[in-house]
Amino acid sequence: MGGACVITFNNVSLIYPHSLHTVFEDLSFTIEEGEMVLVIGATGSGKSSLLRLINGLVPHHTGGILAGDISVDGISTSLTKPGGLAHLIGIVGQNPAHGFVTDTVEDELVFGMEALNFAPEIMRKRVEEILDLLSLAHLRSRSISTLSGGEQQRVAIGSALVMHPKVLVLDEPTSALDPIAAEEVLSILHRLVHDLGLTVVVSEHKLERVIGFTDRIIAISPDGKADIDIPEEILKKSLIAPPIVHLARALNLDSVGTSVREVRRMTTHLRDYTPLLSQPRQVTGETVVAIEKLNHLYGEKMALREISLDFKAGEITAVMGRNGAGKSTLFKSIVGFHKASGGQVKVLGNDPTELSGRQRLSTIGYIPQEPSDLLIHSSVAKECAASDRDNGLEDGSTFAFLQRVTPKINPDAHPRDLSEGQRLSLVLALILCGAPDVLIMDEPTRGLDYQAKSLLVDTLVSYARNLGKCVLIATHDVELVAEVADRVVFLADGDVVADGTTLDVLLSSPAFAPQVAKVMSPAPWLTVKDALRGIAQISGKDSQE
Amino acid sequence: MKRAFHPLTWWSGAIAVSIAVSSAHHSGFNLAVVGGMCLIVYRVNRNAIDQSPWSGGLWFALKIAAIIVLIRTTIGIAIGVPVPGTTLFELPILDLPEWMAGIRIGGAITQERLTFAFAEGLQIATLICIFAAATSLTSPHRLLRQMPIFIYEFGVALVIATSVLPQLVTSAERIRTAQRMRGIQRKGWAGVALPLLEESLARSLDLAAAMDSRGYGYSRNRSCYRRETMLPHDLLVIFSALALIPLSWVVLA
Repeated sequence: MGGACVITFNNVSLIYPHSLHTVFEDLSFTIEEGEMVLVIGATGSGKSSLLRLINGLVPHHTGGILAGDISVDGISTSLTKPGGLAHLIGIVGQNPAHGFVTDTVEDELVFGMEALNFAPEIMRKRVEEILDLLSLAHLRSRSISTLSGGEQQRVAIGSALVMHPKVLVLDEPTSALDPIAAEEVLSILHRLVHDLGLTVVVSEHKLERVIGFTDRIIAISPDGKADIDIPEEILKKSLIAPPIVHLARALNLDSVGTSVREVRRMTTHLRDYTPLLSQPRQVTGETVVAIEKLNHLYGEKMALREISLDFKAGEITAVMGRNGAGKSTLFKSIVGFHKASGGQVKVLGNDPTELSGRQRLSTIGYIPQEPSDLLIHSSVAKECAASDRDNGLEDGSTFAFLQRVTPKINPDAHPRDLSEGQRLSLVLALILCGAPDVLIMDEPTRGLDYQAKSLLVDTLVSYARNLGKCVLIATHDVELVAEVADRVVFLADGDVVADGTTLDVLLSSPAFAPQVAKVMSPAPWLTVKDALRGIAQISGKDSQE
Repeated sequence: MKRAFHPLTWWSGAIAVSIAVSSAHHSGFNLAVVGGMCLIVYRVNRNAIDQSPWSGGLWFALKIAAIIVLIRTTIGIAIGVPVPGTTLFELPILDLPEWMAGIRIGGAITQERLTFAFAEGLQIATLICIFAAATSLTSPHRLLRQMPIFIYEFGVALVIATSVLPQLVTSAERIRTAQRMRGIQRKGWAGVALPLLEESLARSLDLAAAMDSRGYGYSRNRSCYRRETMLPHDLLVIFSALALIPLSWVVLA
């Protein structure tokens, strides 16, 4: 690149108080002006710490010992407090809603400028500029708490950008967003990097969303070392990789591509044949959840209108749709959280609002968006013991179940100290050991890395197929849907707009198609596994002829 | 669109009305004030495009106020010195040890005692409602922006408290529902407290970090994007509230 260095890490090591191992050891790299750098690593590897080192929140705010030196645009962060770098670095946290200081969009945008004593004329000019740049003009006097997730994310980015920073740091900017809102946010970032020469450092679990925009990747390994290189090099060997890279590896392509276009070019020879249509799995279980003409009203707002759906045993259904489409309301109706305003829901013939105690546990298993809401005991072992009691199981059965999923879990650990993935496994074990007839999960993959996600996929698939239970998941994660779901129900504005096999629904909309499907189109393969099987079938037929 | 009120308007009004309420100490006057507050909050907030998390504050305070009146009245009639007057009914007198002489539980309930206890309860409840109404009309965040920057630490604490508090109510509700769905019923609030505490601590830290990284308190001077000026309708509100003070003397007389 040869541009000016904006961020320099010089032999940086970091250790947190009361911790026995270093988060980073001897990290040295530079980031140049106008680069977009992606930070990857397993959960708990220190991605957030790395991002927060850049503006000095670590260690100024968190404590810990920092060795080595970090400088941003020539200013050393160890000598300057985060507030002193506010004009230079904009930082957007993992959950932007937690960082809002004021009530309305306009007030939020000016908060930082007011704090740094900008002149009112400059502020007015900059606010208009940002409102236009991020297409927020129509929201300027809205209360932030009423905005959608994507809009909130744009406001958070805007309030960092009004300061005209040289560096923008974002921690998982799209993890809570649906694919379309994520696309909006990312294309804004892309434009900022290209048009304004902004340096962007971003961490993200869903690599498939950001990889196309990335100039370089910092890969943090569990031992505290980090590699920085161009995506092609890092992804050649990294375990953390988006589906297209796995596809390229599986097909033994000469190099890995980072964009759908590249991989499509590399695989033209594979798409010469008319592929066989793969037969979707037929589910013939009994109906577990029967919903008939369900309506739900919040005040005067129709959240669900006249929904009729049946979910069968042995079937995994993904419920998709934009934020606010009615997914959570539908789930709450099935779980029996509220009485329907009209129509009815039956779970194995029972009204879910009337189920309680052990009968509820063995009928409906519900895992909310924040799985930790269900954890109330002080250790993993106690949590498991309570579940044995609640479900009337033999002592130790829940823990045995948990160990089958995550063998390395420490029974004495406090549930809050577990990694995101381990915590989800624990909650899954607590719920699944009661063998509920229907398992309902709301946004299970938020904050999960690929490893934890594949564990989740295995658990769900075996629960539905081997035990013949009904599984419902609400999610924005198309790759997860492609991996597990038999059927997809698509909600928009309280209506069912699509209901069909995963193949039909995902392929019918480009925004919701998984990466492999985009590469292999028009072949109807959603995952690496599908593609390999499909290609093997074709070549098998070929050799017969 | 009508310009919004100055952030200090409703609060100065509330202070004036509370002075009037304290000096009048008259149940009818108190009820009229609470009624007026409800009407104003309803009218003003109905026209707002969307609601801040605080706009429901008065309705929440009304519930608390009702509980306060109830408790104050019950305690007032059951415990304490007898007030002579028309006896409504008699309660059995509880035998207390000698060292508690002078305190009496039970006894004759007179109409005077009932009215007095009720008026005392109503007085506290009215003051709560007045300030809850001011909060409903002005988000505490807007008020904070009027505060001078030298109370920096105080400002951070207040912003955190005022942002995390309304959130706590929704979080508590969410956690309780989730647990009820798992079939945890016997635990009650103890089970909610732990996740709730963790979440609010995490959120407070997040918010403090966000304020810090955006330069809050770093510069000695702080500029103002929109100079808030007092408009005629602001002055009207404040002067009408001030006018209640002499009016309360008339009521008292």
